This record gives sequence, C-alpha cells and structure tokens, in this order.
Amino acid sequence: MAACVVKIGVYVCHCGLNIAGTVDVAKVAEYAETLSNVVLAKHYTYMCSDPGQRMIQEDIKKHKLNRIVIATCSPRMHEETFRKAAEEAGLNPYLVEIVNLREHVSWPHGGEPEKATEKAKALVRMGVARARLLELLKKVKVAVEKKVLVVGGGIAGIQASLDMANAGLSVYLVEKQPSIGGRMAQLDKTFPTLDCSACILTPKMVDVGRHPNITLLTNSEVADVKGFVGNYEVTVLKKARYVDESKCVGCELCVKVCPVKVPDKFNENFSQTRAVSIQFPQAVPKVASIDPAYCLRLKLGKKEVCGKCLQVCEAKAIDFEQKPEEIKLKVGGILIAVGSGVFDASKMAEYGYGRFPDVISNIEFERISDASGPTGGKIVSPRTGKHPKSIAFIQCVGSRDKRFHEYCCRVGCMISLKQAILARGKLGEDVNIYVCYNDLRSFGKDCEEFYRRARDLDINFVAGIPSDIRRLADGTLYFDVYERGTNRLLEVHADIVVLANGLVPNIDLDSIGTMFHAGRSADGFLLEAHPKLRPLESSTAGVFLAGTCQGPKDIPDTVAQASGAAAKVVDLLSAGEIELEPLKAVVDEEFCSGCDVCRSLCPFSAMEIVPKGEGKTAKVIEAMCQGCGLCAAACPSGAVKIQQFTDRQLLAQVQVSCKEPEGGS
Amino acid sequence: MSLVDLMSMAKPNLKSRAKVFSKLKGRDLVNCFQCIKCTSGCTALKLLELKPHEVEKLANLGFVDELVASDILWTCVTCLKCIQRCPQKASPYHVIMALRNLAVEREVKIPEAFMKAVSQVLETGMAEAYQKIAKGTETFDRESLKLPRIGSPREGFQALFLKALEEK
Repeated sequence: MAACVVKIGVYVCHCGLNIAGTVDVAKVAEYAETLSNVVLAKHYTYMCSDPGQRMIQEDIKKHKLNRIVIATCSPRMHEETFRKAAEEAGLNPYLVEIVNLREHVSWPHGGEPEKATEKAKALVRMGVARARLLELLKKVKVAVEKKVLVVGGGIAGIQASLDMANAGLSVYLVEKQPSIGGRMAQLDKTFPTLDCSACILTPKMVDVGRHPNITLLTNSEVADVKGFVGNYEVTVLKKARYVDESKCVGCELCVKVCPVKVPDKFNENFSQTRAVSIQFPQAVPKVASIDPAYCLRLKLGKKEVCGKCLQVCEAKAIDFEQKPEEIKLKVGGILIAVGSGVFDASKMAEYGYGRFPDVISNIEFERISDASGPTGGKIVSPRTGKHPKSIAFIQCVGSRDKRFHEYCCRVGCMISLKQAILARGKLGEDVNIYVCYNDLRSFGKDCEEFYRRARDLDINFVAGIPSDIRRLADGTLYFDVYERGTNRLLEVHADIVVLANGLVPNIDLDSIGTMFHAGRSADGFLLEAHPKLRPLESSTAGVFLAGTCQGPKDIPDTVAQASGAAAKVVDLLSAGEIELEPLKAVVDEEFCSGCDVCRSLCPFSAMEIVPKGEGKTAKVIEAMCQGCGLCAAACPSGAVKIQQFTDRQLLAQVQVSCKEPEGGS
Repeated sequence: MSLVDLMSMAKPNLKSRAKVFSKLKGRDLVNCFQCIKCTSGCTALKLLELKPHEVEKLANLGFVDELVASDILWTCVTCLKCIQRCPQKASPYHVIMALRNLAVEREVKIPEAFMKAVSQVLETGMAEAYQKIAKGTETFDRESLKLPRIGSPREGFQALFLKALEEK
C-alpha cells in the first residue's frame, strides 16, 4: 500500500450518552480532522446502527477512504460489525481500526469530562497512527474433519452425541467408566417431576449404543490432543477391561462365581460387587469388566490362580491377555462434558460426616432410596438398618462457604426438597422431616410449586443452619439450630442427617483443562468464552462445553446446554471448511537464523524448524497458530511478526501516545 | 419427640396441632414460607407484640401449647391485612382464631376486654353497646341525643347464647 495515498476516515460514536455523556465527541472529531492523512471525521449517536454503518460505507465510496478508524465501544462488541460493513463497501476488513472510548474512557472517567476528552483525543491519535500502517489481510480457509470427539458419557455427553449423530456427524464418545450414564444413572427420582431417573435416561443410553454414527469408547480416557479447530488429532487410551466387548453377552455368570468382594462405588460403597462386574443393571455397553486392582489372577500376575470366570463364561469373552489400546482419532470439533464431582463433606469436621454413619451425603441418599440400590429402595439408617423416625436435611454443605466453595451449588435445595418428599412418601406421615436452610432457592420451572408441595406434606423448614452435629450415647444424632423466623434455639434429633453436598469441579478438570487449552473460572469449573453471549464454547476455537463441567446445573439445564453445544459443533463443521482469522505469526526468512526459540515457546505447537539452503528457518503452521504473539516477542532478530499487530504498528501508536509528533508521520 | 425449643424447653404437641389444622380444614392457611410480610404490616405489632409469621411457624412446628397460653393471641385486632397481602394465601388470622377457640376450650384465662364483650352481648344482645358518646372534650348521653335507651335482649336470647357458647 506504500504507493497509495492513505486516506483515513474517523468516526466518533456517542453510544447514546454512554460516551457522549462524558466525552466531548464533537471536539474529538474536530481534533481528529487535524491529524495527517485524515480526510474526514464525523460523530454520530449510534455508529453501530444501520444509518451509522451506511454513513461509513457511503464515505468509503465517495471519498475513496482506505482506512477507517472508529472510536466507539470495545472491539469485542462491534469490531466484527464494522469490518463487515467495510467489506460490503469494498474495503479490506482488516483496514478498520477500533478505538475504545467507552470501556477505556467514558466509563472509568465518568466524573472528569475534560480529562476524559483529552484521553479520547490521545487514543484517537494513536488509532490513526496505527491505521496508517494497517495491512491488507485475508482470512485463511481450512478444510475440517466432519467428526466430533465427545468427552464424557453422562447425560450431557449422551444428549450432545445423539444430536450430532442425528445431524450426520461421526461421533466418538469417550467415557472413563465401563458404562455410560454418569451421575444421572445413580439418581432415584428427578425433581421437580419425580420422574424415575433411570426410566428417562436408559432409552437414551440404548440409542447411543446402537446409533450407526456413534462410536462408543468406554473404559477410555483422552491421553493427548494436538491440532487446531477443524483438524484435531486425539489419542484415546482404552484401558484393558479383560473382557472382549464383541463377545460378552452380559449374562453375569462370571459375576456370580467371582469370589472377590469389592466395594460398589456405584452404590456409594453401601454394598459390594465383585472383581468382575457390570457397573449397574442398565449399563451400556452391557459388558462385564474386571478390576485389575482386585482380581486375584491379575493382582498376583499368576496364570494358575482362580480363573473361575474363565471357566464359566460360555461366550469365551474373558481375556486376561487384553492390553490397553491406543486409538488415534481425527476430529474437527471437541465437546467436553466430563461432569462434576460432589463435595466431600468429611472436610467439614463439624458435621461428623465419615465419623457418624448416619450422617450421609445427598448422593448416598439417592442410592438408599433407589429401588435398584443396596436397600431395595427402603430408606433406612445405615447404622441400625431400621426406618428412621426423624430425618434432617442440612443445606449449603461446602457451598456458599468461603472455606470451601463460594458459589451456590444451584441444585442442593431442589435435591433436598425432592428427597424430603420421597422420604415422606416412603416413610409415612409420622416421620418428622426437617430441612435446615439458609435461603431456599427453588428458581427453576415448576420448582417453586414443588417447594409449596413439600410444605403441604408437613416438611418442617427451619430457617437456620446448625453449627455442628452431635451424637448421643445411644448413637442417635442431634443438633441445635437457631430458627431466625421465630428467634428460637431448637434442638433437633434425627436418625438420619442428609447433607446437601454441592457439586464441585471434577478432579479431572486439571488435566482436561490443560490438554484442551480450556480455561477455568475462579470457581474451578471450565470457563465459557463469554458468560452471556458464548456460553457453550471454551475460549479455544473448536472446543465446546456442556453440562456440569462448566458450572453446577440441574438435568434440564444440562440437557439444554448439551443440545445447544451440539448445534454449535454442527454449525462449525457442516460446511466442510472454516475461515480462520489471519491474526497469525509470519516469519521473515531473511532474518531468521533457525535458533529454535520460537518453536520451543509456542504453546500451540504451531512452529516448526525446516532446512533452508545450508541453514534452517522457522516456519509457521498457519492453521495451528492462535496469534498469541509469544514467538514475536521472543524472537532475538525480530524475524517473527504477528499480522495485524506488527512491531511497526504498535511502536507507531506508542510514539504518538503522549504527544502528536510535529508534521505527522 | 425429635424437637425441643431450648429457650422454653417446650416440645411440640402434635395432637393439638392436628386439632388446629382440622379447624383450618387442611394446610393451605398454614402453608407459609416466612417472607414475614404479614408481620411487616401487622396493625397489632405496631400497637402490641403480635408477630403473625411466628404464629404460622410455631403452629407448623407444633408449639401449639405455647401459643394457646400466650397473651399475643388476643392482641389481633382482626384487621385482616395479613390475609389480603399474603403471597402464599396463608392466613395468620385464621390460625389465631383457631388457637383462640382452643384456648377457650382449655379454659385459659381470657383477657378482661374479651370477657366484657361477652357479658355485654349477654346483657344487651350487642357487641358494642355505647351508653355515652364522646366528641372532643364533651360527652353526650343517649338521652341528650334523643336516642332510645339500650334495653335487654329478647326473652330467651341469653339461654340460647349460653347454650351456643357451651357447644363451642
């Protein structure tokens, strides 16, 4: 563009009174007109409006403008809008420069209009300096794999997989456990409808198992991820289950003969399963797996030991020789749906969880209330095995608690309401049921009505949280709680105390966040790209989020988010190719010595060192580069630059930041 | 019993609670979620000490004995604001009336003003039988206002009234 005369148009936006209420926009525009290369400068109420954009487009044509500076809100809001407008008027979209007069000027300097106006002028001056040096850039087009990796086979992963598979994408669903189903499979009933959790979940599990577009990889974990949006290379580690999935018919003969008893994690360790087992009756795939930590033969590593399952299996599915398998996948998009953990209440010494057997967690209550659980659905005290005469629920355990998790778990109140209602139904009118709460949050659809129903069923809501739980000599529990509605200290005796443990970030998020370059928010959950406008994506292109890995939520919200994220993936991959922003590193090979500094620093593996003549040079793998700029900053010879953010452009801005150089540039 | 009020060492009386609830014909009028709007607007809270939300909560928890014995039960001026404004269509007023009836059954000492009202009805057939009317600093008797004297009720009324009281 050197030969061409630079003609800049400057547009100052009022943003209603957001900017114009503080900054003297007319003065800023007047000032902009005095800067060299500026052909015209205007101000207008809403530049982002249709008339505002049309004004810019007409000026581009009429005055042959070849650079546009728009002093308005953050580029995060409207950079794309103005780039498109410029493109429509025949100007390369990367010749538009945004100056932020709202977040950087009028909002933080509301009380100082004169100083704010001066700052606005300085920023416009800097924007013009940079605009002079903007270069023509083109978007990069890359082909994409029409395949998706879904990590996690809970309800979020199941729903998203089905949606994407139905839309024609090939889906790889990776689940760590031997069966899909996740947390929802452990639940008895669901609020606020009291639907049987398994009854509504298992049909979807079955659909996943037999869908021609879904490849189910259970007992598997993602080991490595390389690549970039549209073209990820994923390594999945399929652990040995010591049972041939293609042969096992799920008859459970092996389970019946296995002599090794193992705590059943699915039943929260209230019962025992065997070293060879099927996770739960409706498991998908309905295939046994052997736990090598317990199986006698595998533990001792001796061929002559036990082998009872081997003898009894008619399908000849038991395979002690099975080895872990590395599976390489090529996918265009990734959807993370790894779910969450549940707060470990033993960290809260005051409630005696772990010391008092009758203090149980809400997920443990689900198992003892579930008809297919260890008690056959009979609600009994774990200590005595008898029906309780009194049950107390304690809310906000580990949540809304700065010692543990500051956030609200969003489901604890509704879970306790549901469990209290179930207990009333199963145990009858004579049982005393207490819910000790801080704020009772029943905000979802039909949830307030559910709360009223609980009150109708004579469930006592106590406004106050006990300080501790104590045990009497006979083993029963009691606690004091100050009821703030009536200003009384109440002593409550309970045979079972259920703690409303909140949802917490999955422990796997540490490795998953790093592996997929997915950020975390302050609460430890995976961070969405924008809390309101991009809630289904991570900040890494092509990596999407669904369910409780992104934040605590209930089943309806999880399913909605999963379907939404699935639609985003379909949107991304359906065209077969995608356009990438050209904000990428480029190497000037003339100055590059191939020193390897850039390659060793690049967090996206987007640099390679290739031979060049007798020496070598760095080369950018364009599609992988995210334009972070580490290489450009580190390059000792200045051979690497980031397009749209070159040293020349940035230094020009810095030079005029304090005063306008005489005679312009 | 699984509940004790450690301040008064009171325990719930679920039998009496059931009696109150049956007078209220179900739980709708005690289905309270303690927003405390009733107490915020209670006429008798400003004059006396009645906290209608506490009546609702204590009735729910079963601390009926305490309520029945308490003076606050008799401070309700029956303005009915609590019913009109309750977001859950509960009614502290109805609970209080049910509790008053229970108090009468238990022969709790009833405040003099209420007894006076009863004896006035018995004597005159009227709840409010003013013999004199005050206006500013002056008082007027009925004669000077040319109003008829308040006489005794119709014959047989007293017997009927007493019988009705006993039945209750």
